[in-house]
Amino acid sequence: MIIDITVNDQPKRLQARSGDRLVDVLRKELSLSSLFSDCLSGRCGRCFIFLDGRLAHSCLIPAFKAKGSTIVTYEALRETVEAREIIAALEKAQALPCAFCKTGKIMAIIDLLARNPLPAEEEILEQLEMVSCPCTDPVSLIAAVGIAAELRNKRKFNRADK
Amino acid sequence: MRKDGSESLPLLSTLQFPGMLYASTIRSPAACAKAVNLAHGPLPAGYLCITPADIVAEGCSLLLSDDIFLFARDEVSYKGEPLGLIVGPDAAICDELAQSARADYEEEEPSLEWESFSSSQIAYRYEIDYGDVDLAFSKSANIEKAVYRNGIFDHHYSEPMGAIANWEYDKIAIYCASQWPSHVQQSVATAMKIAETDVVVKPTNLGKSLDGRLWFPSIVACQAAMAAKICGKPVKILYTREEDFLYTPKQARSAVTIRSASDEQGKLQALDVKLIINIGSYNPMAQELVRQAVAAITGIYFCPAMRLEAYAIKSNIIPLGAMGSIGATHAFFSIEAHMNHLAKILEKTPAELKILNMMPKGLSNFGAPPLSYEIPFSKIHRQLEKMSDYRRKYASYELVKKRDPGCREGVVRGIALTVGYQTGRSYSDQPMINTYSVQTTLDRNLNLVISTQASIGSDSLKAMWKSTAEAALSISGEKIHFAPPNTDTTLPCGPLTLSRGASIINRLIERTCRAIQKKRFRESLPIVVKTQTKVLANPKASSGQNQGFQIFDSASWCGTAVEIEIDRISGEPTPLAVWMVVDAGKIVSKELALSSLRSSIISALTLCTGADFDPDKGGRDQYLHDRGIRLQEIPAIGIEFIDSDKTTIAHGLGELPFITIPAAFYSALTQALGAEPRQLPLHGSEILRLLEAP
Repeated sequence: MIIDITVNDQPKRLQARSGDRLVDVLRKELSLSSLFSDCLSGRCGRCFIFLDGRLAHSCLIPAFKAKGSTIVTYEALRETVEAREIIAALEKAQALPCAFCKTGKIMAIIDLLARNPLPAEEEILEQLEMVSCPCTDPVSLIAAVGIAAELRNKRKFNRADK
Repeated sequence: MRKDGSESLPLLSTLQFPGMLYASTIRSPAACAKAVNLAHGPLPAGYLCITPADIVAEGCSLLLSDDIFLFARDEVSYKGEPLGLIVGPDAAICDELAQSARADYEEEEPSLEWESFSSSQIAYRYEIDYGDVDLAFSKSANIEKAVYRNGIFDHHYSEPMGAIANWEYDKIAIYCASQWPSHVQQSVATAMKIAETDVVVKPTNLGKSLDGRLWFPSIVACQAAMAAKICGKPVKILYTREEDFLYTPKQARSAVTIRSASDEQGKLQALDVKLIINIGSYNPMAQELVRQAVAAITGIYFCPAMRLEAYAIKSNIIPLGAMGSIGATHAFFSIEAHMNHLAKILEKTPAELKILNMMPKGLSNFGAPPLSYEIPFSKIHRQLEKMSDYRRKYASYELVKKRDPGCREGVVRGIALTVGYQTGRSYSDQPMINTYSVQTTLDRNLNLVISTQASIGSDSLKAMWKSTAEAALSISGEKIHFAPPNTDTTLPCGPLTLSRGASIINRLIERTCRAIQKKRFRESLPIVVKTQTKVLANPKASSGQNQGFQIFDSASWCGTAVEIEIDRISGEPTPLAVWMVVDAGKIVSKELALSSLRSSIISALTLCTGADFDPDKGGRDQYLHDRGIRLQEIPAIGIEFIDSDKTTIAHGLGELPFITIPAAFYSALTQALGAEPRQLPLHGSEILRLLEAP
């Protein structure tokens, strides 16, 4: 079947079989290397995309269901100021996610901060629970999200450094 | 390129080569069978089935060592053992074809029993006998005997196992995530009957491997190399997540029987130990696994006499091996559980009994020379008690338990302390496993390039090594780079394990930097310094009489306290807090050490609370339900380093949580339950049964 969708602001026409998962189609047809077809059960977070503005596991979405949707992947986000702030915050807090979950964690943090500019510890942990990679300790991750939130709020509300 | 200038290793799943084919493994449906023949229907154009006969016809070897076959040919030794490969241009079609392939075989009764075993199941046996054990038992006031069991655990690897083999000019290049690239190189050369110099291993991103990628990646690499040779094209094997869960090595299970003789106060007089480790169908590191467990069997305690029999036992299940510490976890858990048992019999607190038995200066175990220095056990113990408020909490939980024995109304909590150590000692007589090397180059642009196969390690490790080089040469971190850890550009090197490798490489980097410093303004650039070291294996490794050396040499010490709470409805134990006091010599970067320890503590807690893998029942259901500890369940973690400013030598610390946490968790569980389950892991239903037992 043919699926017309918008991926990273580009209209795309993808070829898929009826049982194909969205992650496999995006990876195969568009060579999007930030997406991994890994656990296929929605727990590793390595296939995160923004589907019509909402964070979603593309391994759990049948390809045909995405027809007409707008998809944003890490490829489009990595050069944004939000992603760069998060990467800087992760480095500053010595929270160094492994190469396998880094994009998933960044996507999850972008989503969290977009919804809640000052998330509590419980909310941070709940959000990052969606990327079940034990490579980074939660204390550093919480610190990193705190730093990223501060950077974002400073930029957004034009606050000067103390 | 990263901010620090180092290249991040690629992920195997993202690597592609022109014309690359994919291979899926055809697996045995039986656990034990003979006369295996592969049968498959007509294959689509462009697809090929590779059988053991094809490999032999190509002049390659199916045998890597005495009992390791790349593919089962005449005999199958576990369910899921590779029988052949389906190779083709589409990975999904290869998977479908591999699953529909049939094998004809004569099925036999699998040997699944391992605690009572036959002589044909023994893969390795080791004995120790020192002191007069019989005399000690005949005079002893207390003789106690118990069996302690550890289950099989899986580690969720960052990326499933896999390998790519690609012909690059006149050499075969292997891309795979292995802790030991030299082993991959040697194995591929052996299997293909070519020179080692004709094989180049280009490691891919390793992730957190917990010692589970020591030797198994070599087998997958050999299979990919065979397929590439037969097809004349690059071939990629990448297991699915489910395949990785079901058919790759897990942590071995163990049963340790301890009979102890102690005096009226509870001082150990003798131990009589039978240690059985189930290694599944095979494990090339069985000797190392058993010897590491034997070395740790006395824990931190002095024991004047001991008789020990230790076995690595084979059975018809997936290969089982090291995970998180090579064998030492089993031994520490058993001796600590036994000390708790003794404390209960003697009506003492576990902490009292443990302090009484700690190894003092001037004595030793295993017939080794007397200990010439004071081990900081007491200091660690005191600090840990203070940090965790152990005494008050222990006493109050005991009071609660006495007031409400079934814990029907009250809080079900327990707290325990364990003191342990990790060493970097090896027991293997393989020369390759003990050789570590580093080459450091200061080039004309004053960039420092460090070449070592160990740079497959994590970013935290590389950051530690970089700060060592920075301090030694006063060079800015941005000028320090790691060369790709390819086997053709780096010297042969031993494995990068949790307990070894990291600190040895750190010392070698320091040594090469100092050598460069001496030559810096005397010789023209570039200055190249190579260094190599051989970690001495136990000199009496094969004598079977005693360990012959001081097991505490070059050790890192730590004390761990764990506080747990049991859910009165579900019975599931939840860790509330973990405290660690660590003496690991010089701490190069405190932040990185803390981060690495916190991450290891979480993985070690998974060994206590996670589901144990049942190879007989293992299937998709178990895979889907296998979850590690949830981020929200991660307890408060407090870590303190002691005496890190009193030395210039850094020791490894990554294994410390794996050694001490299962023992401390179990001890806390016994306090909370008021019973001794004598096994780990322990789940809700069993805990509720113990809680409700009269």
